Amino acid sequence: MALAKVDTEAFIGEVIESSTSQFVAESRELNGAPPFGAFIKTSGAIPVYGLVFNVCTHSIEPNRRATAYGLTEQELRNEQPQIFELLKTEFEAVTVGYGDDRGPRQVLPPQPPGIHSFVLPCAESEIKALTNNGDYLRCVLSGNRLPVDDLIIASVRHAWAARAFDMPYLVGIGKDLCRLIRDDYDRLSSIMRRISQ
Amino acid sequence: MLDFGVLKKQIDQMAVDAKTMQDDFFARIDLAVSEMDRWEEPWETLVTKIRRSRTSWLVANASGPFTEVCSRPERPAELTVIAADGSQIFPDRHEIANCFLINVGYVVLHYGSGERPVMSSEPSLFYEEEDMYHEWAGKRSPVTREIVGVKRNAMELDKVVALAAEAKEEGRTVVGLTDGTLILWMLEGKPYDFRRETLQMTLSGLEQLRELRVPIAGYISDPGSADVVNGLRVGLCPEQPPDCDRCPWKAAEAQALLNLDDDAQKPEPIPCEPIAGVTDDMLYVRKLKSGERSGVFRSSSKILEDYGPHRICFFYVHTGWEVGRVEIPEWVADDEALLDLVHTTIIDQAEKGRGYPVVLSESHERAVVRGADRDIFFKFLKDSYVKNNVKAENSLKQLKKLAATV
Repeated sequence: MALAKVDTEAFIGEVIESSTSQFVAESRELNGAPPFGAFIKTSGAIPVYGLVFNVCTHSIEPNRRATAYGLTEQELRNEQPQIFELLKTEFEAVTVGYGDDRGPRQVLPPQPPGIHSFVLPCAESEIKALTNNGDYLRCVLSGNRLPVDDLIIASVRHAWAARAFDMPYLVGIGKDLCRLIRDDYDRLSSIMRRISQ
Repeated sequence: MLDFGVLKKQIDQMAVDAKTMQDDFFARIDLAVSEMDRWEEPWETLVTKIRRSRTSWLVANASGPFTEVCSRPERPAELTVIAADGSQIFPDRHEIANCFLINVGYVVLHYGSGERPVMSSEPSLFYEEEDMYHEWAGKRSPVTREIVGVKRNAMELDKVVALAAEAKEEGRTVVGLTDGTLILWMLEGKPYDFRRETLQMTLSGLEQLRELRVPIAGYISDPGSADVVNGLRVGLCPEQPPDCDRCPWKAAEAQALLNLDDDAQKPEPIPCEPIAGVTDDMLYVRKLKSGERSGVFRSSSKILEDYGPHRICFFYVHTGWEVGRVEIPEWVADDEALLDLVHTTIIDQAEKGRGYPVVLSESHERAVVRGADRDIFFKFLKDSYVKNNVKAENSLKQLKKLAATV
């Protein structure tokens, strides 16, 4: 499989665990994960699009735990520089689509992203293509162990920002959400309220 | 398979014996401390007595009172600390091929500048004829665990030298640390050509560090050495000069053992015996406060006669957690600035590592080859042999261990 040309300067992470519906990536920089609810894509012949739903930073070795030092980050960098080499940041994404020659498609990919493929932030045009209607929210609503409501709120806000906070777009997505969560009015109104806060 | 029923009784007896010894020990330590204080003023008398003595144990040579205490100097705001540590897979003739592996872990920590540290490791595989067999004193013998250890030490020192040269070129203040002693104890009783070859490897590394003016120190945690206490034992000896080979008390004791008559008079106790068994760290934990070090002593080890300007000296330091022993070459001991730099670095490192120098524990972590790594190594080796159509067989003994039958 021919690999698409990757801007190695722009990558923010590397896939270290992969399945059809979710993938995990190690952040290139410590604490450098994309924000919760951000749209990301993987490198490769078939780019896979995902939505970040979890970010964690921990020790690189399972038997070594981080302990408190009582120092500021700058003091730690000056006096305990090794600890930053012993920690890593990982982020998890739920798959919301993949790309083919017609651009992003809101369907699960035929193959999961390859291990060690690079992870890049989505371009504005890709975010727009993935979020032109509320279909991608179905992946979120049907996903396992996802913070569903908060992920809807964060992702809709990212999609809205990609459209320069265009009000008619938000109204359209609101209508889609009404259809998806029509049986729980309280939940729906809480989500809507928090999106527009 | 261990028979715990039998073993438990032995463990219990061991604990009872240890308790008895411990109770007796506090009195011995008290006596050793008072002996140390007694020699504070006439220290030159004691030093002369030590110099003229012939003892069967290692005795510290001092150039000041044994009670000397130096407080912690200030650490330079910007400092680079380097360490290397090694780990290995020993040659095992029951495995598929005759080879060994040395993994050198190394760490360069820059303090005060916020720069990223270097933390890595370098594995080296040895399998060629000249690595696997050596000829010393006209005798050809296969490589042993001890020789792998010697090679590992040399590689660790080489790595520290290379990293120190690099850091020095960048204009940094550098200190090199190693885990354990700088004295090549294993050379005792070895063939001359083995000694020469091993010494040359170590001394050329130390010489390069001297030229770079990078102090190197070996840190020994929980040291069992008693060189200073042995000096005090010389002080207790009424003989002038003390000579263990002609010790009249020992001779009397030996005579008494031969004497079967129960009524015979018991021999006088050996004068130096009351503080025997006390180690230097037990003594200095009473003398030093956190951050302080003892005076610098010269080790009287015979091996060091061949060290030239790199003759190893040592001091004890209270890190706040324990009294550790720090070994340094003579050119570091004689240079007050380098000595202070080593002293402050050790304390600072132990504080950062909460008891043990952080640069040493991190280089160990980089170096360590765990059981699982060893298994993967031999799997890779086997796969590669099979791919290349080379015979790959474990010994029958090894196979039996892997699949024991009933």
